[in-house]
Amino acid sequence: MNASSRASIALALFCFALLSACVTSRLPAVDVATVGSAAELSSTTFYPQEQFQCGPAALLTVLTSSGIETDMDSMVKQVYVPGRQGSLQVEMLAASRAAGRIPYPIDREFGALVAELRAGRPVLVLQNLGTSWFPRWHYAVVIGFDAKREQLTLRSGVDRRRLTRLRTFLHTWRRGDYWGFVVLPANEVPEQVDTARWLAAVAAFEQAGATDAAKLAWVNAVARWPDSAVARFGLANNNFMQGNWQAAESVYRELLMRQPQLAIARNNLALALLRQRRFVEAEQEAQRALVDLDDNSPMHAELANTLSEIRESSANGQSRSGRPSSTNR
Amino acid sequence: MSNSKLRLFVFELVSVSLVSLGFMQIAHAGMVDTQSLIEQEASSERLAKIESLLARQDVARQLVALGVDPADVQQRVLYLSDAEIASFEQRLDTQIAGGSAVGVIGTVFLVLLILELVGVTDIFKKI
Repeated sequence: MNASSRASIALALFCFALLSACVTSRLPAVDVATVGSAAELSSTTFYPQEQFQCGPAALLTVLTSSGIETDMDSMVKQVYVPGRQGSLQVEMLAASRAAGRIPYPIDREFGALVAELRAGRPVLVLQNLGTSWFPRWHYAVVIGFDAKREQLTLRSGVDRRRLTRLRTFLHTWRRGDYWGFVVLPANEVPEQVDTARWLAAVAAFEQAGATDAAKLAWVNAVARWPDSAVARFGLANNNFMQGNWQAAESVYRELLMRQPQLAIARNNLALALLRQRRFVEAEQEAQRALVDLDDNSPMHAELANTLSEIRESSANGQSRSGRPSSTNR
Repeated sequence: MSNSKLRLFVFELVSVSLVSLGFMQIAHAGMVDTQSLIEQEASSERLAKIESLLARQDVARQLVALGVDPADVQQRVLYLSDAEIASFEQRLDTQIAGGSAVGVIGTVFLVLLILELVGVTDIFKKI
């Protein structure tokens, strides 16, 4: 046996070992019949990627599909990292917020992906097209799934309509830790929704400066999850940030009726009362909040500040009581 | 002034406005924000506002070091949530960056070709 044929045998054995390793690591069972098909979202505009810029291209695809007018240059400026020749996941989410959409990371399973497609939302996914030892990270947009053929349609790279077998997709998506997201306007809610993750997505959107737009999402959230403290707290805080002190007050009170011990809501209620120059009530609520707070809560300093702010304003307000109170701030 | 020095200079300028913009976000002094309740419910570590600002600047600095235009960096980090900023504990240059350029050589090619044929990888577009 000569050296080259020995080398070929070694290579073949190596490949075999590798393949068996891949095959034995189980793919999650996808019950295609239950998941069902999702008609191809064929009107999704295609933006072919420049080298390394699948991130900007994929993001532009989902944002445009959601009704946002923007362009490739702007996407590149927002998510491309030259030193890494690629785009980071969290920056993809951040740029969606900057464009006025709420990014929602879907459940890490195929059924969730198809559910969003059926709701008309293309899904931006992270794939590793290579292997763990030869990674080729790639962002693409899934636009359809044919359950009968077990085949996905993607806008991917320079392929306007890339067809991928389900099994292959699941391998590449699994190596991307099943990461994918959809972008939504504030008046919509994901199809398969995890309450906590959605409310966190709304809060992050709001924090990024979209106070006005986020309000609708909070209103809808309270209607859909009336028992969620986060939803009510979010709505009340939104009113607070917009200077609607009375509306904020009434939502904090609704929340406190349900959860009287929620000290941070009482803290904010006290501040909403303070803004309305109702000093006595404000001080009562702030004091009660301090009592209700857990001993080891990191919020003690904040609540103590609130109380001293109220006392200070109250003292100032009373010393100026001869003057008409022309502002309510 | 070399290119990298210039970048650094521009970045320091930008940092100042970044900090002031950051404070705009917390203009409602005293109001405990919604993310705090979310973090409390998830019993995750709460990042104090000032730490979050510093962390944001740190992420911005890392992005500039990776070649992002200092003029763009300011907006980019502002739209990250507190939790996302906290996730950067792991250094930026080790995070996944989706970019996919394909150029494969030698033995690796053969192995990948086989993996591709059995549908484990999806590197070769025209196969």
